Amino acid sequence: MDMMWISILLGFALFALLGLGVWVSFTLIAIGGLGLILSENYQIDLLFATSSWGASTAWSLTALPLFIWMGEVLFRTRLSEDLFKGLSPWLGGVPGKLLHVNILSCGIFAAVSGSSAATAATIGRMTLPELRKQGYSDRMAIGTLAGSGTLGLLIPPSIILIVYGVAAEVSISRLFIAGALPGLLLVSLFMGFTMIWGHFHKDELPKTTGHETSWAARVKGLRKLLPVVGLIGFVLGSIYGGLTTPTEAAAIGVTGALILAAFTGSLSRHSFMDSLLGAVKSSCMIGFILVGAHFLTLAMGFLGIPKALALWIGGMSLSPMELILYLTVLFVVLGCFLDGISVVVLTVAVILPVIQAANIDLLWFGIFIVLVVEMSQITPPVGFNLFVIQALTGKNILYVAKAALPFFLLIGVAILLISVFPEIVTYLPATMSQN
Amino acid sequence: MSRIKDKLYLCSGLLSGFFIVVITLLLLAQIVGRFFNFIVPSAEDFAGFALAASTFLGLAYTFREGGHIRVTLVIQRFSPLPRKIQEGMILTLSLALLCYVSYACSFMVYESYIYDEVSYGYVPVPLWIPQVPVAVGAIALTLAVFDAWIDVVRGKQPDYVKQEDALSLEEI
Repeated sequence: MDMMWISILLGFALFALLGLGVWVSFTLIAIGGLGLILSENYQIDLLFATSSWGASTAWSLTALPLFIWMGEVLFRTRLSEDLFKGLSPWLGGVPGKLLHVNILSCGIFAAVSGSSAATAATIGRMTLPELRKQGYSDRMAIGTLAGSGTLGLLIPPSIILIVYGVAAEVSISRLFIAGALPGLLLVSLFMGFTMIWGHFHKDELPKTTGHETSWAARVKGLRKLLPVVGLIGFVLGSIYGGLTTPTEAAAIGVTGALILAAFTGSLSRHSFMDSLLGAVKSSCMIGFILVGAHFLTLAMGFLGIPKALALWIGGMSLSPMELILYLTVLFVVLGCFLDGISVVVLTVAVILPVIQAANIDLLWFGIFIVLVVEMSQITPPVGFNLFVIQALTGKNILYVAKAALPFFLLIGVAILLISVFPEIVTYLPATMSQN
Repeated sequence: MSRIKDKLYLCSGLLSGFFIVVITLLLLAQIVGRFFNFIVPSAEDFAGFALAASTFLGLAYTFREGGHIRVTLVIQRFSPLPRKIQEGMILTLSLALLCYVSYACSFMVYESYIYDEVSYGYVPVPLWIPQVPVAVGAIALTLAVFDAWIDVVRGKQPDYVKQEDALSLEEI
């Protein structure tokens, strides 16, 4: 059969299975198997077994369950409350006031959790009722939460970056470090926007700060922030300094999180088991998707589809900027229907050779795709963060999407900035210790 | 009967969690070892084996808890009868696929065993040993899907659907 027809058939089967509600990991395996049958390769069992064994024993992947577990442990501590109380005295005086607490708590929580929905849910449960009580604009409270909730995807240690790194065979330490500056960039964009908004909408903010902003209160707040910020600093610092591999850093992170939980009295047999089983659920799900993706990538390679696609797109002689623009649109659309991890693994299976042929740095591309996936987290109809916030507030999903729109656009600005100045992504990894 | 089943599912989750703890301890031993100049032999291999065991052994538990993600955008809009048919269809399909996956994984163990394959690391391990959990996990997942299939055939709502409804509100 002609390759074009095979591709169309596979694409159709893929979306049919996904649309019918077949689990993503199962679908990937089924499409991979179908692809191998169509390429008249009949050693499917052998190929599946070896590719799965290879994918599931990858050393770099061992960081994944540990970082997930670390997030699960901290999720069950009083972390979100501490963040709120610790940050409030520092931010009460800035234009936009406590709305910034939303942004910064999300940023800090993102650095430990790696999942954007968990970030939005944990922080939102704490901050939204508090902000409403103090008379902040609902729309802005929801918007800042929806926007900065997506930071969980980018700010290291990020689960989705591990998935991309394993699937695309890019160093995870370098990806983590590359995500740091764009993450800070996003936080500054969000805070900058909130300050400007706060300056023009004083009527939608409470008159008084409602919180002490004295230096005594600030120092006291700092004490609440110190343990968790220290833990994050230690984990990221040791990766950046080349002291540990991401996997070892993850093991230290889990241990640190457990010690922290023990000291704050939120560690019990029950919460330990809970956090472990929570980690099992996420890491098995992602692990099996990676098994499926690895097999699909293999099948695609046998069929030669990615190569043909690369040649075809190469023949259109697009400039890298045009290519990035089209890919952004494609991913945002895909992201409207699929979750971020699926978007990433499908991309790697099919589009990676196109990226390589266009001489786009794979490290940069990883950060780019995560930013685009962040955008898709807050677009209807299936932006995951929208659902989370809808469930938290009881507001209509379109209302939440509208409140999140400015932040959607700000992530777009960030994508534009890293496209024009790729150094934002590549500078830190380039200066990183080599060992 | 259902109580034994609950225990088995939980067992799948706990075994998977056990191997996550094993990975953590292995890595901690490696880090501590670096300070005291001893090396945990083939730590990377063993961590990889533990990861494969954790991933596969927990599949059944994750399936039952609605942890495996899927697109529910379309099927949410189905009315009860078409929805039942759809769940029945995809479960039948998944069951066939996973029977094949279980066969492929078990055959891998068999081949590693008869050809005496060993790992390349410092400590050569007969590969079939760490591959057994992969086959067992795949078979357990197949049974879990079969379990859900029986529920749907009997007209009951499978457990993962209940969990999914709760999940979209709570976590991930």
